[in-house]
Amino acid sequence: MIEVRGLRKCFGDVIAVDDVSFEARNGEVTALLGENGAGKTTTLRSIYGLIQPDAGEVRVDGVDGIAQPQSARRGLGVLSEARGLYPRLTAREHMRYFAHLQGLGRSETETRCEDLVELLGMGDFADRRAAGLSHGENTKVALARALLHDPANILLDEPTTGLDVMSTRAVRELIVQLRERGKCVVFSSHVMQEVAAVSDRIVVVSAGRVIASGTPAELRRSTGLDDLEDVFVALTGHSGARG
Amino acid sequence: MTNFVAALAVVLRKELVDGFRDRRSLISVLAPLALLPLLFYVAMDQASESVERARQIKIPVVGMEHARELIGWLDQQAGIEIQQGPDQPREAVRNGDVDFALVIPEDFAERFAGSKTAEVEIIVEGMDRSLDRSVSRVRDLIRGYGRGIADQRLIVRGISPEVARPVRVETLELATQQQRTARLIGFMPLLLVMGIFVGGLQVAIDSTAGERERGSLEPLLVIPAPRLSIIGGKWLAATAFSLASALLTAAMVGIGLEFSPLQRLGLRIELDGGVMALAVAVILPLAFSVTALQMVVATMARSYKEAQSYVSFLMLLPMLPLILTMDSEIEDAIWRLMVPVLGQQQLIQDAMGGEGVALVDFAVTALSTAAFAGVCLWLTSHLFRRERIVFGR
Repeated sequence: MIEVRGLRKCFGDVIAVDDVSFEARNGEVTALLGENGAGKTTTLRSIYGLIQPDAGEVRVDGVDGIAQPQSARRGLGVLSEARGLYPRLTAREHMRYFAHLQGLGRSETETRCEDLVELLGMGDFADRRAAGLSHGENTKVALARALLHDPANILLDEPTTGLDVMSTRAVRELIVQLRERGKCVVFSSHVMQEVAAVSDRIVVVSAGRVIASGTPAELRRSTGLDDLEDVFVALTGHSGARG
Repeated sequence: MTNFVAALAVVLRKELVDGFRDRRSLISVLAPLALLPLLFYVAMDQASESVERARQIKIPVVGMEHARELIGWLDQQAGIEIQQGPDQPREAVRNGDVDFALVIPEDFAERFAGSKTAEVEIIVEGMDRSLDRSVSRVRDLIRGYGRGIADQRLIVRGISPEVARPVRVETLELATQQQRTARLIGFMPLLLVMGIFVGGLQVAIDSTAGERERGSLEPLLVIPAPRLSIIGGKWLAATAFSLASALLTAAMVGIGLEFSPLQRLGLRIELDGGVMALAVAVILPLAFSVTALQMVVATMARSYKEAQSYVSFLMLLPMLPLILTMDSEIEDAIWRLMVPVLGQQQLIQDAMGGEGVALVDFAVTALSTAAFAGVCLWLTSHLFRRERIVFGR
């Protein structure tokens, strides 16, 4: 469960996030939908405490994420915007490193690694060094790294960007599986179809502000439009984007 | 606390493995080190060659018959051998047939007998510095001969030679054999400091600026481990590489000295293992503060490349005072002990001079070095909190 209230963050004169509030519940997938630069990444970074917001409140399972970022992070699994790997370590070594850093024991680490290798279909490249991995494989390792400690809340920043069809599909399936296991999943995206396919709730962000939120059905009803892409276009105020 | 140590150990292990797999960087550190003994040998060999040449001198003499007495006297001097010189001494020297030539003019005997200043000429190319010692030895010998003759002439005339010598210079050499040795290997601290700087540099940069540039810093910082323990692990890994590099440097210098022709230099360097070990032990704590400094500088840099140039530049800072004071002895001073590098330099000098190292001095140096490292680490962890640094904006 993640609660964000009145979040505000400026970089110099630029207001990146302005009074953003939403709630992401357990067993639901919440999407942050918006164009590039809408403030999605800044919002997510504020939740996992690498950005100190100028105002607002963040709670992760009730823990104050701003006053106690360390404790709040314990309940979080994060696929951040930056998802680089160590070129000289293998995929499995990455998982072990992060599992040990999360405080997992030896045998627990090995079982979790095996589970994730299977879940994400990493068998072919689990013991290859990261330097030779494809973009999709790279993303899978980064996802595994975020999920090792079986966190209750999962933040995914643009998880499918740059992935091919098969990898995108695998990520979507993963998101659905996580929801089925009762996790609280928050992911950001600028791809309408993707959001429509997996989200229970959509928070539409534009220029740092939440301009609409609700279930896909609620959004359709409030705008009187059937197609979610039209809804998005209508909400963000762009016209003629879809020929 | 256990959390802190556990995370630190995990990071340390990972950075060590990662560092070892970075073959290219390892080779770039190891290759120059492997060449060190060879360089050493060549330098020592050249030095001893010029010393030897000065000790065993053949003098090609032209016009020997004009100064039989002088030549006879020279011939009796140790290490001097008189040879018949070439007919055309200038050409012979220019062509390199002989290194130099002593020419005695025809009027030598006449002027000598008449108590006038008689001239001799030493013909030398002037470019070959390795001949300096030989030529100055010959010059000194002939001057000495002249002074002896002058004294005799004055005594014959009833004048004390002291009248003609108002000032006399005596050089008292105070340096003990070991101090001279210390000066000879005065570049040893420089090499060790270089070893320390070069060894940890790669890990220090790769685990800070490199980590951000490849986009692995953000995932790492999301881990709920204390920042300082993550930084501590990186720091200890860099320090381990730095220490290994310093020890290797010391070993290479040791090998170089062992096989160098030092005896031919007339220096009885007893490579006292204890003294060497002390010198190395005294400088090793420096590694801890050097890597900490490299990390804070690399963290501040905007990119990997920028970090590399800053950190390389950093190496020049301690080199400057070391190079300036390499030949001379520095005076002991408490402020010097408190400055990293300078303190270690003083301790090494004490160690190599055979005077031993005072425990208090060592403690002062180690403490100030540790404090310096602590400040750098604190600064680095502080920087890791800055959004600008973490996200590289």
